[in-house]
Amino acid sequence: MDYYLQQLVIGLSLGMVYALVAIGFTLIFGVLNVVNFAHGEVYTIGAFVGLLIFVSFAPPLVVVLLVVLAVGAMTGVGLERFAFKPFRRFNDEATLKSRAMREATLMSSLALSIVAREGIELFFGSQFQSLPLKHMLNSPIKIGPVTIVDGDLIIFGTSFLMLAGLQFVLKHTSVGLSIRAVSNNPLGARYVGVNTDRTIAWTFAVGSGMGAVAGILVGLYYGAIFPAMGFTPGIKAFVAMVMGGLSSIPGAVVCALIIGISEAMSSIFVSSVWQDLVAYAFLIITLIFFPRGIFGGARERV
Amino acid sequence: MIAGPALEINNLHVGMGVQSILRGIDLTVQEGEIVAVIGANGVGKTTLMRAISGVYASQEGHIRFYGEDITHWPSHEIVACGLLQAPEGRQIFSAMSVRENLILGGGPLGLSELDKVLSLFPLLGDRMQQNAGSLSGGEQQMLCVARALMRRPKMLLLDEPSLGLAPKIIKLIFNLVQSIRNTGVSILLVEQNARSALAVADRAAVMDGGRIVLSGQASQLLDDPRVKETYLGGNAQHAPAANNEAAS
Repeated sequence: MDYYLQQLVIGLSLGMVYALVAIGFTLIFGVLNVVNFAHGEVYTIGAFVGLLIFVSFAPPLVVVLLVVLAVGAMTGVGLERFAFKPFRRFNDEATLKSRAMREATLMSSLALSIVAREGIELFFGSQFQSLPLKHMLNSPIKIGPVTIVDGDLIIFGTSFLMLAGLQFVLKHTSVGLSIRAVSNNPLGARYVGVNTDRTIAWTFAVGSGMGAVAGILVGLYYGAIFPAMGFTPGIKAFVAMVMGGLSSIPGAVVCALIIGISEAMSSIFVSSVWQDLVAYAFLIITLIFFPRGIFGGARERV
Repeated sequence: MIAGPALEINNLHVGMGVQSILRGIDLTVQEGEIVAVIGANGVGKTTLMRAISGVYASQEGHIRFYGEDITHWPSHEIVACGLLQAPEGRQIFSAMSVRENLILGGGPLGLSELDKVLSLFPLLGDRMQQNAGSLSGGEQQMLCVARALMRRPKMLLLDEPSLGLAPKIIKLIFNLVQSIRNTGVSILLVEQNARSALAVADRAAVMDGGRIVLSGQASQLLDDPRVKETYLGGNAQHAPAANNEAAS
């Protein structure tokens, strides 16, 4: 029983990480109808930036997270500038969500992701970076009969704060309202004077900032920071986005938690090498039986 | 000193690819005036409106707003200088609440114009928390106009405000057009419903084939035999039927 509870806690924190990454996909899909294939690399960059700061300054964790958030946001803006904006002539509503743009940016973001990954590898090497043990988030905590590590709590808490913060931004700030407006009706957004280009850049900033924080959190939790680390969580977050209905944030968060918990629970029954299969099984089931996402046809975006 | 017109359009050309849609439009709207542009489907009325708001790029000609050349400005800057549009198809944010629609409409002004706007559209006041997509067609049209008014416009462009609405609601909307003008907002109105549009406008222009083929005082156009025959359905009895046809 205790073991189940323990796995549940681990699954929740794992799911929260997927949720943070999935939100980046979801937000960007909402405004542009495109998948940003370089999102996993933003996660990796977040982890490496955090590592560099830790090793050189050893500041408190909060400072590291804030810096990573900022760097992630800037990475996102740069990514949009080089991989997405050049393909957007944006003369009418058809251009913004056109198929041609979807295919062009799919290739350009994939290309940029390869450049980023290889660039990191060239600089740091492909092996795991050694992380000073004292920075790792794995001091055990005993809560009643359950033993977890402080990383679980930190990941869960940080992610929860960021999700709540995102909800606040989307509902109560002008940037957030603009993001939702462009997502809901890009043409309508132009008529109320929303600066669409700037809003799209903000969307990348918000989504990428969250993805980068997820990267450093996981890096510190597992002590595993390496150039290809963004791939697996990227795929799983992508699955969460598809399961949640592509552009629904609540849908993506719920599905990310489902995936996280299922993975952690699966290790009770099968060897953990098979864990990654859970997400792919979900993807296949979703695509076959719920092609519009498991929450049905509700098309509420962002 | 004579003040220039609020909106001045000179020789405007707009095309999509090889196809040219507007072929030299000249049109002015004086401050405080209601000007109607009437014409059948596909003559370029909506293209004209989109070009003014910066949604479509113009190839040739000039659009001036209070003397400022706004021809190639991005749409958010055109909105910022007080030229707002209630577009065709309403283009409201259907997944967001009425309140959020109005906040977005207000832009940097937020909800500061809310009381004034709600006095024109009291119905919306009861619907503030509702999703805009759940409103009726007439309410959505009102929200669309209200959203534009939240920005305290100097001029309002109305593109087919009567499209798809019941006759009673159409009457209400055109009465509102008068009230909005009385608050000091100039209005450029595009309509297929020529009779209602000419009744409310000061001046009017008839568009055909991407050009303005006829213009003058609205009352004169109402009596013009060519306008009567083509746009008002010959005699008054047949007019509603003709309008329905045009709208469908």
